[in-house]
Amino acid sequence: MNPIALSMILSSLALGTILTVSSNHWFLAWMGLEINTLAIIPLMAQNHHPRAVEASTKYFLTQAAASALLLFSALNNAWFTGEWSIMNLTNSISCTTMTIAICMKLGLAPFHFWLPEVLQGLNLTTGLILSTWQKLAPMAILYQISPSMNTSLLLLIGLTSTLIGGWGGLNQTQLRKILAFSSIAHLGWMASILPIMPQLMILNLIIYLIMTSTLFLTLKTISSTKISTLATSWPKTPTTTALTLLTLLSLGGLPPLSGFMPKWLILQELTNQNTPILATMLALSALLSLFFYLRLSYSITLTSSPNTSNSPLTWRHNSKQPTTLLSLMLISSFFLLPISPLMMS
Amino acid sequence: MTLVHFSFCSAFTLGLTGLALHRAHLLSALLCLEGVMLSMYVGLSSWPTQISLFSFSLVPMLMLTFSACEAGTGLALMVATTRTHGTDNLHNLNLLQC
Repeated sequence: MNPIALSMILSSLALGTILTVSSNHWFLAWMGLEINTLAIIPLMAQNHHPRAVEASTKYFLTQAAASALLLFSALNNAWFTGEWSIMNLTNSISCTTMTIAICMKLGLAPFHFWLPEVLQGLNLTTGLILSTWQKLAPMAILYQISPSMNTSLLLLIGLTSTLIGGWGGLNQTQLRKILAFSSIAHLGWMASILPIMPQLMILNLIIYLIMTSTLFLTLKTISSTKISTLATSWPKTPTTTALTLLTLLSLGGLPPLSGFMPKWLILQELTNQNTPILATMLALSALLSLFFYLRLSYSITLTSSPNTSNSPLTWRHNSKQPTTLLSLMLISSFFLLPISPLMMS
Repeated sequence: MTLVHFSFCSAFTLGLTGLALHRAHLLSALLCLEGVMLSMYVGLSSWPTQISLFSFSLVPMLMLTFSACEAGTGLALMVATTRTHGTDNLHNLNLLQC
């Protein structure tokens, strides 16, 4: 892509998110979301193959409908209460439609069908942007309107998302679809803790961003998009491949790794709030996600050198990609658990 | 609920229903999206006159600008879809399904 156009697009992406995060007026927040959507579409459609164009069309239609619904809820709220500030979303109908609009923007459960298909059509860099940076702006709005939202609706959406994220990923062999379902499941955890303790939602979002970018950067380094190519990734970068096991277990939320911290705190908070059934179902749905993470880690790590591999070996190139960000993200997705007392204080 | 409020709410609902149900072609989906945005334009431009807040009058223009950008992107995507898939029929966009 032309560097001038690329810098323009990337700065518009940054501008859109920053505008949404820092605005107090619904219209400015909507403008930021629109800038975000319009800026990522050229990045998605930059390779002119049919899958990329299809993915960008689907992304455009869902995001445009969702942001129209968002502005409509804000306008309705203004007609009823005369108030455009984000904090003062008091009308209950507007609140419900706003929740639906933001869930559609994020890809939460009843509105999640676009996310795996769109992510499957993109290359790994754009997929990384879509599943990390593009989540920030809707999450910021969700965080700001969380005091006035319908608790049972959010809990229902969160539980459905974790279950669907777990069930959906079981039958996939494409890594980007698996990552999309894992994103749905993590967003479900965030949505279910949001009405109770919004700070934990932010913590979960940060940890999720770190772990997802680690996995995307690893996949980009070993340039694999299917489970079958994972099995021959050990000759390319042996250390990264071995550490990917820990990344996947961290995404699944196993104890000594940092992915355990948000799940632990969320389950503790839900038990304190006397919702043991919800906490149990969330914990059980994490097992579904853990199953496909374990399948990935089996094919990426446990089939490495001394074992026989069923896949044909690929040619070994020296990777020329920069790995500074990858190493930072790897370290922070393993070792953040010991600083959890600091975060709680 | 005043008459203006009811009319733009029903226009929005009709547009969104059309986008959800009647989208055999990408062009009709884009037209429904445009209808949705125009109903919002009516709502945004009649809200300041309702409560006599005329400093808000620029906002409908900004919204119209953004909706024009959105329509342009949608039409560009329609051209791209027609070039790669041969048609703008949305049932043909099935390369990525699970």
